[in-house]
Order: sequence, then C-alpha cells, then structure tokens
Amino acid sequence: MTATASNSRRVHLVQGILFWIFRLATYFVLACATYIFLDIGIKGSRTVFTSTPPFINVPFLTEPPQTLYVFDYEGKKMALSDRQFRQWKVEHPGTEVEASSIAYSAGGIWPCIVGTALLVIGSMILALGIGISSAIYLSEYSRNGPLIRLVRIAILNLAGVPSIVFGLFGFGLFVIFFGWNVSLIAGWFTLGLMVLPAIITASEESLRAVPQGLREGSLALGASKWQTIRKNVLPYAMPGILTSSILGIARVAGETAPIMFTAAYAMKDELPWQVTRMTDFFFQGVMALPYHIYVVSSKIPQNEYTERVQYGSAFVFLFLVMLIALTSIILRERSRSRLSW
Amino acid sequence: MVSVAEMSEITSPTVVNQTAPMPNPANPKVERGMIEIEQLDFAYGTNKVLHDINLSIPARAVTAFIGPSGCGKTTLLRCLNRMNDLIDSARITQGSIRIEGVDINASSVDVVDLRRRVGMVFQKSNPFPKSIYDNVAYGLRIAGTTKRTLIDEAVEKSLRSAALWDEVKDRLHVSGYGLSGGQQQRLCIARALAVEPEIVLMDEPCSALDPIATAKVEELIRQLKEQYTIVIVTHNMQQAGRCSDHTAFFYLGRLIEFDDTTKIFSNPGQRQTEEYITGRFG
Amino acid sequence: MEGVADPRTLIPERTKSRRAQVVIEQAIKAFFGGNALVAVIVLALITIFLFREGFGFFGQNLANLRLYRQAGLEYVDIIRGNAAQHESLSRKLSEIRLREVRVMEKRNVPLEEINAALAPFDQFASAFSDTAENLHGLVSDLTDQASALKEQLFARAELLAQRNQLERSGAQTEAEKIVVPEVDRAAALARLREGSARFESVSAEITAKLYNLLAQAPAMPDPAGQKHFEQWKTRARKYLAGLPAASEKLRTWSPDTPIPWYRSISSFLFGRDWVTASFWQDWYGIIPLLVGSVLVSIVALVIAVPLGVASAIYVSEIASRHEKRLIKPYIEFISAIPSVVLGFFGIAVVGQAVRAASQSHFFKWVSFFPISERLNIFTAGCLLALMAVPTIFTLSEDALRNVPRGFKEASYALGANRLQTIARVLVPASLSGIVSAILLGLGRVIGETMVVLLCAGNRIAIPDFTQGLGAIFQPVHTMTGIIAQEMGEVVRGSTHYRALFMVGLVLFTITLAINYLAQKFVARYRMSIG
Repeated sequence: MTATASNSRRVHLVQGILFWIFRLATYFVLACATYIFLDIGIKGSRTVFTSTPPFINVPFLTEPPQTLYVFDYEGKKMALSDRQFRQWKVEHPGTEVEASSIAYSAGGIWPCIVGTALLVIGSMILALGIGISSAIYLSEYSRNGPLIRLVRIAILNLAGVPSIVFGLFGFGLFVIFFGWNVSLIAGWFTLGLMVLPAIITASEESLRAVPQGLREGSLALGASKWQTIRKNVLPYAMPGILTSSILGIARVAGETAPIMFTAAYAMKDELPWQVTRMTDFFFQGVMALPYHIYVVSSKIPQNEYTERVQYGSAFVFLFLVMLIALTSIILRERSRSRLSW
Repeated sequence: MVSVAEMSEITSPTVVNQTAPMPNPANPKVERGMIEIEQLDFAYGTNKVLHDINLSIPARAVTAFIGPSGCGKTTLLRCLNRMNDLIDSARITQGSIRIEGVDINASSVDVVDLRRRVGMVFQKSNPFPKSIYDNVAYGLRIAGTTKRTLIDEAVEKSLRSAALWDEVKDRLHVSGYGLSGGQQQRLCIARALAVEPEIVLMDEPCSALDPIATAKVEELIRQLKEQYTIVIVTHNMQQAGRCSDHTAFFYLGRLIEFDDTTKIFSNPGQRQTEEYITGRFG
Repeated sequence: MEGVADPRTLIPERTKSRRAQVVIEQAIKAFFGGNALVAVIVLALITIFLFREGFGFFGQNLANLRLYRQAGLEYVDIIRGNAAQHESLSRKLSEIRLREVRVMEKRNVPLEEINAALAPFDQFASAFSDTAENLHGLVSDLTDQASALKEQLFARAELLAQRNQLERSGAQTEAEKIVVPEVDRAAALARLREGSARFESVSAEITAKLYNLLAQAPAMPDPAGQKHFEQWKTRARKYLAGLPAASEKLRTWSPDTPIPWYRSISSFLFGRDWVTASFWQDWYGIIPLLVGSVLVSIVALVIAVPLGVASAIYVSEIASRHEKRLIKPYIEFISAIPSVVLGFFGIAVVGQAVRAASQSHFFKWVSFFPISERLNIFTAGCLLALMAVPTIFTLSEDALRNVPRGFKEASYALGANRLQTIARVLVPASLSGIVSAILLGLGRVIGETMVVLLCAGNRIAIPDFTQGLGAIFQPVHTMTGIIAQEMGEVVRGSTHYRALFMVGLVLFTITLAINYLAQKFVARYRMSIG
C-alpha cells in the first residue's frame, strides 16, 4: 500500500504542476492584452485628456490634422502647428528659423472620426439589409436542395477570406472597373461585402436556433408564412442577429486593409459634407481612423513630437472599437441567459 | 368537386352560422367536419410511407390512429392539414383527401384557410415564448381580429374549453413557459380552439405527460367531441380505448382495420390488429 | 360547452383580401429571394473577378519573359550573375575581416595593432576586388545596349498594338498615319554578342590575376580566421573553375530559343525574385512572399497554439466559476483589438523590446544576437499570436465543453483523477475540434495584413536559413503586405497589377483550403462526440 500511496502523491504533484502551467499560460495571455490596453490607455490619455476642465482635449477631437513645425528659437525648442507657425512668423517678422516639419503631428483627428463613422454606417446598412434578408430566405423559404447547400458552403467559406482580398477586389471592380475612384461608395461596397458572409452565416444560425415547433404551431393556427416569420421567428432570433451585427460593426470599423486603396485618403482638408454637389458626397475619398493610424505609425518617425498624435489616435480608435465589442459581448451574455429552449 | 366559390361560402359566417350539421348545397351528404381519404399514397422522396389509404372519418367524434412506431399514422395526420408541405421532398403521390367534400390538395385551396379550419396539437407541447394570453390570442390576431373585447372573450372561452381557465385566470400575462407540462399542452389545445376550427388533430398529445395530466387532457378530448371532429394519434392503447369512438389500426404504412373502438378492442377483424392490441408485437 | 355555439363570428370575413394577401406573401418571398440572389451573385462575382484579373497575368508575364530573351537581357544577366558571384566573394572577405577584428577586440588588442596585423589581408582584399574592374565595365556597357534595344522593341510593340486597334475599329487612314519604326534587332544583338569575346578576355585576365593573388595570399593572425580564409580560397577557386562554363553559356545562348508557355506559370509559382518597377527586368516570383507569410504564421502558431489550447483547457476544466466568467469574455474581447492598433503597438513597443532584449547580456550566448532589425518575422509573429489566441481559445473551449458529460463521468467513475480525465478522455474526444480551431487560427494569421505590413520589416527576400533559428529575426515581406503596399501605385491592367491579383488569388486559395480542412475536422469532431 505504501507504494500506491507514494505513487498517488506523485500523481498529485504532477497534476498540481501541470494545472499551474495551464493557469500561468492563461494569465500570460491576459497580461499581454492588459499591457497593450494599459500602454495605449495611459500614453493615449495624455493626449486625449487634460488636467484642466473640461478634462477632455477638445481640439484634438475636433480639429483636422496639421503639420507640426519644430525649431529652435532663442534657446527654446518650439513646436507649432501649421497655423500657429504662420501666425508666429507674422508676429516675428524678419526672423529666419530652420524649422523641421513633421506631417500629421499637430492638430486633431476629427475628419478621421467622421470618415470612419460614415464608412461604418453605409457599409452596415448595405450588409445588414442584404445579409439578414438573405439569411431569412435561406433559413425560412429555400428548399434544402443541392444548390442551396452549395450556396451555404460557399458563403461559409467566403467568411474566412482575408480582408485584403476583398480590398483587392473592391479596388479592381469599384475603383477601377466602375471608375468610382477612391470614394466613400467604393468603401461602402467593399466593407459591406466583406462582412456580408459573416452576417448571413450568423443570422441564419440564429434563425435556425428557433425551434421548429414554434413555426409549426403558428402555421397550424392558420398563420401565413410571413406572419409566422414576423411574429414567431424573427423576435426570438433578433438577439442573436443583433449580436452578430454589432460584431460586424466592430469588424468593419477596425479593418484597414480593405479601405487603404478603396476609400481612405491620408490627408484631406474638407470635411465630407463640404461638397459642391450632392453626388460628390458619395464619390469622395475620406480620412479614416484606422488608415490614419497606419499612416502616422509607418510614414512619420517615432519621437517625442509624434507620440502625441500616434498614441492619441490609437487610444480613441481602440476605445471606440472596444466599446462596440463590449456592447455585443454584454448583449450576448444577457440574451444567452434569457432565452433557452 | 366543389369550386372555390363554394369553398369560401363554407367558411363564411353567413353560411356556417349554426352548430347543427350543415348541409352542403352541392353535396347533401357532406357533413361539417367530415374527412374522406381515398386511395392515398404518400412518399418522402423515393421512400413510400403510406400505401393506398381509404378512410372516412366521421364528424363530431373522436377517431384514434393506432399502430407501431413508423407505421405512418403521424404522417397521415399531418396530411390532413398539409403540415407535410413544410418538409422538402415529402409529397402525396396518389389519391386525395377531402374535407367537407373539398380536395384539400387542390391548387385552388388556400393552405392558410385550411389550417385555420383544421387545428393541430403537437406531440411536444410548443407554447410560444409569450404570455398565456398572447398565446391564445395569437391565432385571432394573425387572422386580423383587432377588437380587444372580442379577443378577451375568445381567450376566456378557449381557456375554459381547455379546462385551464381556473388555473391561469390570475396570471394570464405571465409567460406560457412557466406552466407545467400538462398545462402547457392544454394551453396549446386552447390556442388551437381559439380560432374555432372544425377539426382538431392531436399528435400523441399525452406522450410527455404524467398520468394525472393525461387524465385531464383525455377528459377534455371527450368533452370537445361535442363541438369538433377530433383525430388523435396515440401509442397508448388504453387511451384509444378510453376516449375514442372509432379506431384505425395502421401497420407498415397500410390501414389494416377501421371500426368502432369497442369492436376493435373486443373483437378485431384482423389477426394483426388482435396481435397488436394484445401486445404480441409493436 | 355552450360558449362555442356561434363559430366564425370572431374571424372577420376576409375572402376578398386573401388574394391580395397571397400576392403580398409572394412579393415578400421574392424580396428575400432577390436579396439572397444578389448576395450570391456578388460573392460569385468577387471570385470570378479575381480569377479574370489574375489569369490575365500569365499572358502578360510570358510576353515579359519573351522580351527579356529577345532583347538580350538574359544574355547580359549571365555576365551580371558572374559579376555578382565575384562581388559576393568580396563581401565574404569583409565578413572575415570583421570577425577577425571582433576576436582581437575581445582579447583587448588596441585598434592600431589590429589594423597593422590585418594590413596584408586588406591589401589582398582590395586587390581582389580590383580584378573585377573590367568585368563591371563590361556589364555596364552591355546593360546600356540591351536596355536600349528593349525600349525600342517595347515602343514598337506599343505602336503596333495601337495601330491594330485603330484598324479593328475601322479608322484605316489614322492607322496608316502611325509609323512603326523598324528595329534592327539582328544588328543590335550581334553588337551585343560581341560581349562574348570581351568576356573571354576579361575572364582570362581575372583568372591570371587571381591565381597570382591566391599564390601570395597572406596568413591570418588567428587560426580560426585562417580556417575561414581557407574556405574562402576554395570558393574562389571554384569561381575560377566556373568561368569557362559561363563563356560557353554565352556562346551557345540564342535570342530565338522559344520560351514555353508554362514558364510563365512556373516563374510565378517558383520564382525566387519579386522585383517590380525596375529599369532592367521585372520578376514576379511569389516564393519570397510565400516564405515570408509562412514563416510569420509558423512563429505565430508556435506561440499561440500552446497558449490558446492551455488556456482553453484551463478555463473549461480547471478554473473556478468566477474565473471562467471573467476570463472567457476577456479573451473574446482581445479578438476585437483592431489589427492596425496591434501593428502600431508592435512598432512602438514590441520591436524595440525585442531588439533591446537581443542586445542584453542575458542573451549573449545566442549566436545570432544582437539583431539589427527591430521589425522582423519574430516581432510580427508575436503580435499575430495574440490575434490567433482568441480564435484558438474560443473554438477549442467550445469543443472541450461540448464533450458529453457522460464521457467525463464515466472516467471519474473508474477512479481516474482530473488530469487523467483531461488527458485521456477530454482532449482525445475533442481533438478534431481543437485541430479545426488551430486551422482557423492559421487562416486568420495568414490573411492578416496590417500587422505584417507594419511589423514584418517589408524586405522582399528569402531569409538566410544558414543562420538556423536566426532566420526568424530577419525582415521579410508577405503576400498580404505586398498587396497592401503596392496596389495603390500600380497601373491598371499592367503586369504588375495582375501579378498582385495572382498573389491575392493564391491567398484566396490557401485560406479556402484551410477553411475547408477546418470544416472537415469539425464534422469529424461532431461524429466523435456522437
């Protein structure tokens, strides 16, 4: 028996050690993510928040990006935005300074926020409209033939295609073939099509999760097909559809690759609604937050002057996307506990 | 055959404004709520599950379908309100079903109307995730009834008919999911009755219920036959014996015997029927 | 039962509106069906469009390769290759010198003494490099000739195409106005091929000089250095021995040998160079990009798989209820971090950290440290791992959780402890589910763009595998990265444009294959848990 006892003690020890390894692996992942959140959160909030009321750096959120000029003047390091620099020159006539300019590093990110919002709204309207309708058709109306199966498999597989491939397609078809150029509408279509497979798949899954008995019960009472869907299927599938839609929003807002050459401009002075004709609104490129972050992190150097705009933009963007993601996670947890068949 | 116009006359209130057996102008022998099945063949894809069924189900009585699992009794029941339309590849390959003399599979028949007149209660109780009140009112609302007082009245009437009123009258607006299994099934019956069908189909309504709940539902079935033609599929021989007037025995997709329940259980005409009833197989 | 005496009074008479309602029902169905059709057609269009734009590449690339031969660029590249070999030998010499300096520095030899000790070697090195002077001259002369010919041929082809188009559209008179200059290709090539004779004389000169040099090569101050130097000498002799073969190649080269059609495909799939917008010759070989993508993905998976699977096992089997409630949403939350933010974080923090770590004393024993590039395969791999972990975690955890309770209970009932139950029952039962999770993680990693674009270093080259594991600390370019970087600047319909579509198509095919495999494994998982 003693042999068995020592053996069991050893097994116990091995188990304990292994469990601790698993635990450490888990917490290592959490720690890495937390470090990212903290790093961007802390350094970013230096830009976004201020120590004096209203505590939020309003100009950063409401101004367009500007070029930053850095120069020595009377022994002091000066860092002025484009506009301030011109004013300074007027105030100091005759002084010649050697100013080095750093693009995008002054001013704010307002046009990028606006552009991202417009891109998300347009593409989600497109994707949700077509996506949910398609899911209803596939789940409720279509007969389960080989063709429909093929369509379903194709859609499922397209959901895994990299976003850059959609970007490539959008560039080839919308920007060049249709001649829409780099424009809001090309971005809408590209982003919308990118999330379409995911929305169809997730919505169809939610619809199928509604028990067949509810449909039969309703039809047996003399409800028509549409009445059944509207009153007895859609309401119960809605939480699931909503969750996947919000996740879709997070994805559309977070993607950079598809809009790099279909919709995003690195710099644009006018805001999207400052157009002369109504149609120009759709056929104009916009600035977008993710693309702005790409530009400021790869096209300008890393130093104390650029950190402000780099971390600030990353913080605002991360905050917005995580807010959307959080909404969808909370919504799903709540609906999970409420509805179960 | 009756034309569409006549069909709609049957359903219109002016004609059906009576409880007595209603003579059909085209065919005086047709009684309200009677079902005639003629030479019916039915298949799922290439798999034939019903063979040459001939059956005339009398009105205002309880008819039980019995037989071993997979004999096609549920399939036949679902043919009666065309629930099988929902299953891909399922189709009637031959023969006809006539309700009150009208072929229900004719292209001129509106399946929505048909189902409103032929209600159904399912094996697994399937209340909607709504309040008890909304469950019962559902059929009326989708039929376009909007008047609150009418609906209130109908809900109470149906719940009373389903012998559920006293148990739920104080909590009409809580979810139907909160009821017990037997109550849920009676709620489903009440829901089916609310649209005032002529025929009620019941697919093993008691299979998931305990004996007490079963007794209540059986009692209910006996009461309902005053008003409705009832077709019930059951696995439970005693149940068929207790609450049906006529019994049809199916085996391997064929109708073996159809007669008065007392006759079937005391003196069956076929050897297979006798063997099944005495429990030698099935 | 008096209550139901008056049936059908409740339901309003609707026979007339029924027909309208049926029409509405049909319309609704048609609407949904139409939407589904639009979705399917558009998604099919994507695929078709990708193929259409991509496949045009092969024809254009073939023309590109043919011009390369017809204009004699290929001929010049034989000599150029030879010159490159010579140069690489030169580079090797400076590497040997650098190593020598380091060894002596460690021994605290002052700098002047080092330089003095290496003076004969330096002399040798510069003499060696001088031997190729004429060779480089020859290359640069021939390059100019061949380029000029190529340009003429190209311009002529353009004009011809223009004229053909005009003729086809019926504008005969205008077509005739276009003067297509004749290019005397034969004469130009003949002039070019005089290079053979020149190369022979140059190579004779190099041979003579080099043998002379090798005979009086100085000795190295250090035995290890001497060994490297001896190795170099064998390489140099091999180079000399290869010179006649190069001359032979030049003599037998013919501008009119046909290029078979499949070269266009094989030069894409197996080509080791991706050179675009070059004055000389564009090459579209996907291998460096593919290798880059694969290496980055391997690094990411090597990190992410253990972490993802371990945390899935921890959360589904070991963690307490409270931990579970916190960890699961948090890891899912991670998957929502936008990739561009991760890429930015990689540039701002991770890259620096990796380089700083490689320079620290702690890692002195690692042969390939310190590294010079902060943005490399490893940096990108680490960040991609963080993107793959949530995918692997979520799906593996699902797979583990959906193993029927009965399996677990049966194992406990036989006296197994938790570890045994996990290792022998749960993991085997959900293995195909976990494999499918890993595959989907791979799919996500290989298709990711922004992180590799920002953090992989963007150098189009196959890493130097002779460094062993050090290869993963070199910068690469990836398939996704190249599309993102170059797509904005290409001319529509050019070979380059189509080449990028081909890269996209390869990416598309790879991810589809991964997805398909993952689904196979999911199906097997469903079978295994019954």
